Amino acid sequence: MSDEEVIGIINARIAEEFELDPDMMVAQALLYDDLGLDSLDRVDIVILLEQAFKFKIREEEAIREIRTLGDIHGFVINKVRSLSEGQGA
Amino acid sequence: MPDGRPLHSLIMNLLVYPLIALWTLAGILAFPFLYAFWKIFVNADRSRIMRLFVWVYGRGWMAIMSPFVTFRRDGFDQITASAPYVIVVNHLSFFDFYCMALLPFDNVAAAVRSWPFRMPWYGPFMRLAGYLDVESLGWKGTLAKGAETLSEGGSIVFFPEGHRSRDGKLHRFMSGPFRLSVETGVKVLPLCLTGTDVLLPPGRWWISPARICLTALPPVDPKSFDGPSAHLKLRKFIQAMMARKINSMRDE
Repeated sequence: MSDEEVIGIINARIAEEFELDPDMMVAQALLYDDLGLDSLDRVDIVILLEQAFKFKIREEEAIREIRTLGDIHGFVINKVRSLSEGQGA
Repeated sequence: MPDGRPLHSLIMNLLVYPLIALWTLAGILAFPFLYAFWKIFVNADRSRIMRLFVWVYGRGWMAIMSPFVTFRRDGFDQITASAPYVIVVNHLSFFDFYCMALLPFDNVAAAVRSWPFRMPWYGPFMRLAGYLDVESLGWKGTLAKGAETLSEGGSIVFFPEGHRSRDGKLHRFMSGPFRLSVETGVKVLPLCLTGTDVLLPPGRWWISPARICLTALPPVDPKSFDGPSAHLKLRKFIQAMMARKINSMRDE
């Protein structure tokens, strides 16, 4: 799966779940201030990502550092890469 | 001033605001005596007494409004008055919570933002009634305190949109109330409110005659939804049924 595909899936799932305008889904968008999400929505995003990409991430420390949509993109891209490398090894 | 019957509206504004102020002042002055009476002779819990007072205050507000506003409620024959519910209501106006006096039970707390708690004539009573300040508590604290309230038999009203709708449409729902329902197993009672946006929409100070209708939809059992995203499925299900009902109520 390419990075663009990963980003497309993330943006589509979050926009659909939280009824956000697709035009708002830019990497620099702050989850709270720009997208109007709250602390529970962050938890829900983790559930959405786990369902979309079939991995478990809720216990990972790096999730707590996420502030922007771009942080989510980067986190998931790295996760998908590390999982595919692990499967290839 | 509004279109339609300007003299009627003018009289309404000249009468209703002073009467609400008087009713509020009377309530504040009478409160210590009524509270002491209830505490001594009924020996009820503090928050329970306060919720009854708030409900009575709401009934007084309805009486003041009644020459200019008609109130109707539907669907409450299927509601168990003694059962606690996670109540979700669409949000149109500052006066929406006053309309909770239409509920056939009074043991109701509200989960709201911080600003109503800062109103000196309401804030202390809201705290005594055990209302939940979502912004100060955060969602984690709100869910913990909410679960405690429900376990004590009190229902909790949420406005899941978080803000008043400025176009009358139902907007995005926050997931907090639905997570609370899933975590506690308490049913969600969806309420659909129309007419308060005619009475006092956001961004306006004068009030207008209105027909207010509060309709209860059948309570939804969270146990019908499973998995880690059960609260999200519950939220979508309820949001869709409320949107359909509100559209049909507006068409009537």
